[in-house]
Amino acid sequence: MSHHALSITCSNRLAEIEKATELIEAFGTAHGLSAEVVFKLNLALDEVVTNIISHAYDDEDEHQIAIRVALDGEGVAVRVEDDGRAFNPLDAPRPDLGLDLANRPIGGLGVHIVRSVMDALEYRRENDRNILIMRKRTGDGSNEGARRIE
Amino acid sequence: MEITEQKSSDVVTLRLSGRLNATTALAFEEKILGRIESGERHVVIDLAQLDYISSAGLRVIVLAGKRLSAENGKMVLCSLTDRVREVFDIAGLSSILSIYGSHDDATRGLQA
Repeated sequence: MSHHALSITCSNRLAEIEKATELIEAFGTAHGLSAEVVFKLNLALDEVVTNIISHAYDDEDEHQIAIRVALDGEGVAVRVEDDGRAFNPLDAPRPDLGLDLANRPIGGLGVHIVRSVMDALEYRRENDRNILIMRKRTGDGSNEGARRIE
Repeated sequence: MEITEQKSSDVVTLRLSGRLNATTALAFEEKILGRIESGERHVVIDLAQLDYISSAGLRVIVLAGKRLSAENGKMVLCSLTDRVREVFDIAGLSSILSIYGSHDDATRGLQA
């Protein structure tokens, strides 16, 4: 099944995200994923990797972020592994979307977007590394949004 | 991402094209806050050519909207593509920002 998977290594520079986006678009085309699924995978990955690059590191050194995109019977799994400080996105506070503009905080929407566009998230801390697995079902889309992560 | 700017009477329009993400959000932030700083109070953000937005882009839009409101100004958006609209919807921003289907409607909305 190795040809149904894609491994990408990004260094901790924002410009690297564009590289990942292009590779996932090509992977999506090669495997017949819908434009909708590819868009959501890229949006979620952009949010996650941007968070890592912006907040995970206490030093100015170069770090590697390992991304693996794999197809299975149910859909697509995206695994992101980094050596930054521990951060479990499942613990991130949920934004209050009922607030008007004057009372809205600036920012704080990234993890909410990830939860909304993906179907399931798993996080673990292992050997001083963050491992996040995001799953997106493919198929006819009839399940779209039906099991959004609460 | 590219930003083009157009001024017509007291309305300034910023047209964004390409991708508004963490890499490009700072340029947009500097541009729009610079215009507010220099006294613009009626701003249209035209997103007809914007293919993609992430939370980094939404952050700048929320920031600029709040800043303009505080100065008794107004910001409106127009011509969102379906993908971009979806991200605004997920973020719960579609209902609290003024969003119009066309630039003409947006300009009229600013006067309202």
